[in-house]
Formats: sequence, structure tokens, C-alpha cells
Amino acid sequence: MDALLLRSLQGYVLDTFGLSEWQEVCRRAGLTVGTFEPMLRYDPGTADRIALVVAAVLGRSVDTIWEDVGIYLVTNPDREGVRRLLRFGGTCYADFLHSLEELPGRARLAMPHLEAPDLTLDEVGPDRFELRCHSPLRGLQRVLVGLLTAMADDYGALCLIEPGADDCTVISVLDRRHAEARHFHLALPEG
Amino acid sequence: MQADVPAHRIELDGAALARFMPMHLLLDAEGRALSFGPTLAQVLRDTAVPGSRFEELFEVRSPGGAVTIGEVLARGGNRFRLVPRNGVKAGLRGLGQRLGPQGAILLNLSFGIDLISAVRELALTDADFAANELAMELLYLAEANAAVTRELRGLNLRLEGARMAAEEEAMTDPLTGLRNRRAADLVLERMCAARTGFGLLHMDLDYFKAVNDTLGHAAGDFVLETVGRILREQVRAEDCAARIGGDEFVVIVAGRSDPKTLQAIADRIIARISRPIEVRGGTASIGIARSTDFAVPDATQLLASADRALYAAKHAGRGRAVLLGAGE
Repeated sequence: MDALLLRSLQGYVLDTFGLSEWQEVCRRAGLTVGTFEPMLRYDPGTADRIALVVAAVLGRSVDTIWEDVGIYLVTNPDREGVRRLLRFGGTCYADFLHSLEELPGRARLAMPHLEAPDLTLDEVGPDRFELRCHSPLRGLQRVLVGLLTAMADDYGALCLIEPGADDCTVISVLDRRHAEARHFHLALPEG
Repeated sequence: MQADVPAHRIELDGAALARFMPMHLLLDAEGRALSFGPTLAQVLRDTAVPGSRFEELFEVRSPGGAVTIGEVLARGGNRFRLVPRNGVKAGLRGLGQRLGPQGAILLNLSFGIDLISAVRELALTDADFAANELAMELLYLAEANAAVTRELRGLNLRLEGARMAAEEEAMTDPLTGLRNRRAADLVLERMCAARTGFGLLHMDLDYFKAVNDTLGHAAGDFVLETVGRILREQVRAEDCAARIGGDEFVVIVAGRSDPKTLQAIADRIIARISRPIEVRGGTASIGIARSTDFAVPDATQLLASADRALYAAKHAGRGRAVLLGAGE
């Protein structure tokens, strides 16, 4: 998981702030190579360590950085793939939320060695959900918050998403059809 | 599959049938269509007309030889593969059964591996599949796999680029940009093994030590860099020019073993080096050896022979190239 988060973090800094900021991150972090490979392994904890450096370089809190990374993964047009994979979760936002429990299993279908954390979703009331994610990666919960926020926009739902204690995120769907959902074709055009 | 099934009789109306089996086809006992599931209707388009016969709608791919639904059920048990006759490129597979001895025939179809192209061609959505179907998982997996493969291909290209750069670096003398000793040894061994005629020039700068001692290392380095540039200009792409020691160079001249040609190349190099440059580097001496002087060319023997010729050139007054004959 560290590799995927590191690659996402790298893409977010490069695409949003530019090369010089990323080079500064690499310099301060003492990295000899300025590129993280999503398919290689990195020591556990590397992603959280680099995120702290990014936070220092950009002068923002590390939580904000990770949430932005989550939003970036869904909304960046070059990374349409992530949004598409998440949209396979269902036809409405509530279906999508319920599909999150299946997400680690789906991810392992494509990447058997991925140590994806388990996700648990509880429907605690009408249009109120609690998502729990147990992972040694401290940033992961905030990345999920960013993903959930961006996907709510994608489905046209109006939500309140509050990261709480114990890796629990509370999602309140205020309006399921607040806006038009973005278009989603099940199959990509050929080629 | 034939577990003990309790003998409950159940009734499903058309709406329930459509919801549970969006790709069903209900035929009467003679094989005429009674109703179509909504997704199958999208596949069949304007051919989805009640009353049309099974064989007008589908070509049977298996069981072989079957045409009518009666033949399909009789020969293939209850499994079969079909292709719609309306030109939609979607292989369908399914199972079917007569509902009672003289009753209607129920078929339930699905896209096999053609699912993705069918979804694309017919613009199907999540709602066109029953909730229990694995269609979404298959579509998801195909895209996730494509993404992983794309990343791996990218990683391979980046690693290959890094490997080539590292290899290039490991074969290059950083000061002159010429090949280094390791690279020269490899080229020499390869050429010996290939048994092709080639020439070996072993060059040493005359009075280089004096330049270094009197003008300093910076001047010495400048001379070496200049010699490197000259050698790069004087050799062809298939040749190999290398710096193998302090002021020692070798040039491997591919495909040339004629003494006159090799002598001319060596003389030209010495002439270029002897031209005064900003710092006078002095002259150079070259010993020449030829692979054709040996029955079986051998790198060590060739280098020793070139070294003897170089010694002879120095002995004869420096600033010249010497080619010793075989056995000298």
C-alpha cells in the first residue's frame, strides 16, 4: 500500500504544485531517486514519512494533504481509471458506499500481493453511515475521506463527511440527488 | 447439480421473471417467442418480436447440427451456445428447459467472454444485469488488469532505461568519454571469438609525465580530454577507442587487417596529436598488432604483440607507429 500512496502523493505534488516543489520534497527527505514506483515495495511507514515532508514543504497540515490526494485520485482527468473502478461499485452513492466492503477483495483480484486494509461499513441510521478502516498507514483514513468527498460529487450526492476517532469516518447523505451525476459508461470505447 | 429439490410449485409473473432473468426467452412448445427479458430485447433489437421462431432469431453454435430449440434441448441436454442472427457480435450461452411435458420452454441466456464488447456495443448499464450476476466484477477486473499491466509496462521501460544508462556508465571513461579498459577487453574478446580480421593499436603519449609534472594535473587532464576528442573523431562507429590506463589508449579497428591501412590510421592519429594544442601534449607512439598474425586470435597475445610494437616505436625515437611482422 505504501507504494500506491507514495505514487499518488508524487502525482499530486507534481501535477498540482510542480517539479520544483517535488524536488524540494525529495531533497529534504534525502531521496536519491525522485520517483516512486507503484509496483515496487517500500518500507512500511515510508508514505507517512514522505507526507510529513510534503506537509512541511507546502506549509499545510498532513491531514489536508492526504485528503487532497484522495480528491486528486478521483478528479484528475489523467487518472480517470481510479474514478471508473470506484464507479463500478454501484448506480447510486449509497450502493457505492456499500460496495466499499468489497473493495479490498476487488483490489486483490488485480494485485494479489496488495496488502489492502479491511473496510467495514455500517448503516447506522437513515442516510447515515460509519466507515471503519484499520490500517497501519496513518494517512489512509484521510485519503478515504478525500475519495468519498470526490465520489459524492461524481454521483451528484450532497454529503457531510466527518473523520472521527478510531479510524471511523461518519458519512451523512443530506441529498441523494443534489446534482446531476457525472456520466459513466460501463465499457470504455475500444482502443 | 441435481440436489434434492423440494417439490414446491411456484409461479412467477412476467415482471418477476424479467427482474430475476433479464436475458430470458420464453417460447411456446413449438419454439415461437412468447416474451423476452429486457436485456435480451436490447440484444435482439428489432428482431425481438413475439411470435418469431427461435431459429429465425439465433444461429446455434453448439450443440453442432441443431437448428430448432427442440433439437437443441434434445441433443445438448440443457446447455447451448448461440449467436443472434441480427449481426450483434455477442456470443450467448445459456440453459433451457421445458416447463412441463407439453408446456412452454424457458431459456436463460448470458454473455460469455463477449460481455465487454456487448456492453460497449449495446451501451448496457448496471441496471441491465441482475444484482447477483458477476458482470460488474468481470468489467471491473478487465479494467483493473489493464491498469496494472500498463503500470508494469511503464516500470519495465523505466528500469530498462536505467539499466542501459548504468551499463553505459560502467563502460565509459569519465574523463575522456572514451570506452574504458573493461569495455575494450569485452570488445577484444568478442572480436577474437568472431575470428574476423581486425587491427589493434596500442598508443601511449610521449612525455605525458613531464606535462603532468611541470604544468600540473589540470593541464594533464586537458591533454587527455583533447586526445579523447581526437580519437573519437578518427574512429568509425564500429571501431572501439578506449583509455585503458593513465596515458595509455587502445583503438580496435574493426574489419581492417591490411598493414598499410592500419599504418595510415596510426600515422593520422599521431599527426593530429602532434599538432600544437593550447597545451603542448607532445607526441604519441603507437604499436600495431593484427588479428590475422595469429592462427587463433587471442586477446592476451594480441595485446602483448601490440605492446612489443609500441616498445619498438619508443625505442626507434618516439612519435611514430610501428607494426611488427608475425613472429617478431
